[in-house]
Amino acid sequence: MTRRLIVEPRGLAPWWLKLLIPIGSVFAAMVVGAFFLAITGNDWVEVYQKMADAAFGSGRGFAETLVSATPLILTGVAAAIAFKMLVWNIGGEGQLIFGAITAAGVGIWLSGSTPPFIAITAVVLAGAVGGAFWASLSAVPKVYLGTNEIITTLMLNFIALNFMNYLVLGSFSPWRDPEATQFPQGRPIIENARIPEFFHRLDWGLFIAIGVAIIAWFVITKTRSGFEYRIVGDSFDAARYAGIKVPKKVLGTFLASGAAAGLAGSILVAGILGKMDPRSLDLGLGFTGIIVAALARLNPIAIIPVAILMGALNNAGPALQSIGVPSATVRILQGAILLFAVGGEFLILNRIRRPERPTEEAPADAEVSAA
Amino acid sequence: MNESVLMLTVMAAIGLGTGIVFATVGEILAERAGVLNLGVQGMMLVGAVMGFWATFETGNLWLGVLAALIAGAALSVIHAFNSVTLGVSQIVSGLALTIFGTGLAAFVGRAGANPLIGEPSRAEFTPILTDGLADLPIVGPLIFGHDALVYLSWIVVATTSYYLFRTRPGLTVRAVGEDPASAEAAGVNVSTVRYLHVMAGGALAGLGGAYFSLALVPSWQDNPIGPAGWIAIALVILASWRPWRALWVAYLFGAAGRLNFTFQTLEINVPANLLAMLPFVLAIIAMIVLTSGKRARLLGAPAALGIPYFREER
Repeated sequence: MTRRLIVEPRGLAPWWLKLLIPIGSVFAAMVVGAFFLAITGNDWVEVYQKMADAAFGSGRGFAETLVSATPLILTGVAAAIAFKMLVWNIGGEGQLIFGAITAAGVGIWLSGSTPPFIAITAVVLAGAVGGAFWASLSAVPKVYLGTNEIITTLMLNFIALNFMNYLVLGSFSPWRDPEATQFPQGRPIIENARIPEFFHRLDWGLFIAIGVAIIAWFVITKTRSGFEYRIVGDSFDAARYAGIKVPKKVLGTFLASGAAAGLAGSILVAGILGKMDPRSLDLGLGFTGIIVAALARLNPIAIIPVAILMGALNNAGPALQSIGVPSATVRILQGAILLFAVGGEFLILNRIRRPERPTEEAPADAEVSAA
Repeated sequence: MNESVLMLTVMAAIGLGTGIVFATVGEILAERAGVLNLGVQGMMLVGAVMGFWATFETGNLWLGVLAALIAGAALSVIHAFNSVTLGVSQIVSGLALTIFGTGLAAFVGRAGANPLIGEPSRAEFTPILTDGLADLPIVGPLIFGHDALVYLSWIVVATTSYYLFRTRPGLTVRAVGEDPASAEAAGVNVSTVRYLHVMAGGALAGLGGAYFSLALVPSWQDNPIGPAGWIAIALVILASWRPWRALWVAYLFGAAGRLNFTFQTLEINVPANLLAMLPFVLAIIAMIVLTSGKRARLLGAPAALGIPYFREER
């Protein structure tokens, strides 16, 4: 006879399992990465050492890791708050880009003598508004017409990307630097709107991102609005019975998600970039944010360390190229981490146990030897 | 409108659309069985690189096609395991597959001592009949002027449509996508059906990718397919889960992708970046108008799409 393991849903998973799955996913992905590196004739130990060294080996390296992590914290929060409510916003990419467009627009338009605090605030908030607006193009049809947001957010990514390219590469818009005649470039925003750096290229944008993650955590876990949000996330029906206006809640969440992604765009523009640079904004930061959110199990606080890990991976890509290893290794690792993490969710949602020992049948030892 | 411009546009639409046709029909198969696979872009890219690699090594185009089919199917098994066996989020798993596949394709193209990147293909699919029938005006090139994979795509569309709507196994597939519990009660193994159709979808996505690297632009670059995989996912809905409609909407998208050149020849000046936005804008408008709310169900959206199924006995 067969002795199948019994799989049953469980209520709460133990805390150590919730920690073990993400960590295990990272290690499992490293094994997959090592496999691909080995069969293509690379020394995987050396590659991983190089990556660790590039990301964490020096103060400068770690600063770069945090620079890469900053937008990922925000796109991670964007994905997490949406996914938790089963709003499948995979348009973080487009919302980030449109946030960058509005932020750069304000940063260019402002008078050069605007006091720094006001200028920075205006530019950063403009990005959030831009991101929320871009999200609204999917959110409003979803909430009022029932249009599938997966497809619309996805399509809007490509629209935003082409629009940004049009503004800088394809036209003489105010976003394009009139002095860059040879190679088209974004026009720099005013100096007073730049977020100051404090350690190598690392700027205060990091703390804005961390602040947003903490606010998201606080609102979700400590406020009445967050309580309602969690009910909607668990069950639309339960929320309706509790008198919560579900469409309004979904709309608000969707817009907040877009605003977080838009902030990532404005912090890049006001921070390290200083202008809307199409090449530096088309790096898949929105998609990487989805990995961050999934690996952090949609917990805004856990997003911070996970974003640093993903930032480290992104940061290690160029270092790999310098030793002749494709930087796509990083993408393989990130994809594999997410595949394992989402698969591992099974162990968190379900308990697997051996069946009760059958009383009137042969003892288990005999069955094993028979099998 | 100038006839030759129209002709060129139609031919280009078929060329740009064929890879998308394969992928869209593949995704229709998976979704009809109830599994949403957002990994199409990744599977297409891996199919594109493995197909290119196999042809590069052997000089044989059909071995390239075979490699692409196998690579796409192999990758899709990961998604099938996540979504059918484990029953976790199909959306996140599919996205993960795309990220993984994108990385894998770029990696394979650049790894090793003699990387594929920048290399032209050793063989390519070219129109079968270059003279004779293809010289007939209009219908000549339109019907006889294509490469073997275009004809294969027509066969795939016709077969899939017949399979889904005219055969018993096809009915079973649709039942699994609509109401897996009832299908199971009627003696259908839901898991097996879903695995097989996700894999068929993966194989077709792989083939669709290989169309780009072996026929459309026979050389290797990091991403020879652009956003074709994402477009395919949108087209499944616009085609309302029907293979023949997938063929026409894919060609429509192919034509939209070609507008740039068409406008240039007609001396109409529209910025290229804005034109590139057009297909996506049209897709969104069509989505909102045609498929919002209950209309999606009327169009044929499988009721159990994206929902994991577990047998009662668990």
